[in-house]
Amino acid sequence: MASKIVTFTLNGRETEVMVKPLTTLAKALREKLGFTATKCGCYEGNCGSCTVIVNGEPVLSCILPVEEVEGQNVLTLEGITPAEGLHPLQQAFHENFAIQCGFCSPGMLMVSKALLDKNPHPTQAEVAEAISGNLCRCTGYDPIIAAVLQVAAGSNGNQGGSHE
Amino acid sequence: MTTQAYFRPRSLAEALGLLDEHGPAMLVMAGGTLAMPLINKGVSRPEKVMGLRQAGLDYVRPVDGGVYIGAAAPLSRVRAESGVPLLAEAVKNVAGWAVQNIATAGGNLFAPPPAGDLAVALLALDAQVKLASLKRGERLVPLAEFFTGFLTNCLDPDELLVEIQVPKPAGKSVLLKYGRLYTNTPAIVSVAVRVVTENGRAKDVRIALSAVGPHPFRARQAEAALTGSSLDSSAIAAAASAAAAECEPHTDPIASAEYRRRMTGVFVQRALAQVAA
Repeated sequence: MASKIVTFTLNGRETEVMVKPLTTLAKALREKLGFTATKCGCYEGNCGSCTVIVNGEPVLSCILPVEEVEGQNVLTLEGITPAEGLHPLQQAFHENFAIQCGFCSPGMLMVSKALLDKNPHPTQAEVAEAISGNLCRCTGYDPIIAAVLQVAAGSNGNQGGSHE
Repeated sequence: MTTQAYFRPRSLAEALGLLDEHGPAMLVMAGGTLAMPLINKGVSRPEKVMGLRQAGLDYVRPVDGGVYIGAAAPLSRVRAESGVPLLAEAVKNVAGWAVQNIATAGGNLFAPPPAGDLAVALLALDAQVKLASLKRGERLVPLAEFFTGFLTNCLDPDELLVEIQVPKPAGKSVLLKYGRLYTNTPAIVSVAVRVVTENGRAKDVRIALSAVGPHPFRARQAEAALTGSSLDSSAIAAAASAAAAECEPHTDPIASAEYRRRMTGVFVQRALAQVAA
């Protein structure tokens, strides 16, 4: 079967991409569309680095065929990063030393964004459960949880997004 | 060889037609959390793949106190909408949030042990699975008879698992998963128990185990040891040691077979003690 064109909304914009059968969303984003904020750590659904938001729900883009997002709303880290400055979550990660090597950060930020959109004032345990599928091998998880809680305490976490 | 075709049927009828046409040469997947990692790494190189996300099998439908779950229902939906606490508890133990949004109830039944956290709850709940084929129609199979060995089951090549049927749960039930971490971790042993009592005695007993055999199974001898008892500590101890004796654990990087066997006894005891309390 030949390549086919998949159309979806990426960070608020109608986007088309031509892919071979079973191409993953992560590969389409990174290699076809140039959206490289999304990282792939394991390619097997274990590490959470490739987490993006589809229709408000976090999913793993490295094991999701891009054809499955036809007509749907995909949000990546590029989509919540403002043209100037940082998203409140990015700012809080920076201030709390929740980023060291940075490889897990896009996934951590997206799953945290999805959490705060659904639950603006999570408990520490709720943040821990939300990020439990995302591995960090540098900072440990406490600074990341502290950053998310800081945003929850100060705002609704939606500021600075171009998507809403 | 790279995949030549990815079919996305829009109905069960279309899915069964595609299966009939392409046969076992076509890999069937729902959420893809088992299949895609193997495909990404080149371990699995299917020529044709059928994805069931759009086939109308993603429902979670409460029915008479029980629930009918479409095979392609995401685990997050099962957790939120089944109305059966034991199932919500089982899903809570499966990986992280993003995986629960992708992985499906039906697909989870095909996970290689020690992965696959849903079956143990479904076994304790007397669930049945509906299997469908284009030419032979549908049949209902008790989940306890579905599994036949490590990664094998009674599904015929022209059949799809299309629905999981859970009757209204009677009695008291408990699920305990023991792993090395609190969450997102393979099981050392998973135990689900359900006990219906009558006049203070155990009338119906289900003790289901996972990660300590080639497939999830009911520990029938442990069930027999508890049936008719007053759930006293000696009956619970007898059931726990029966379960430890009849399980068939294996050694892997998570735990040794011997440790798994001992923990089977410990966690069956704890689960039954919670039911008796």
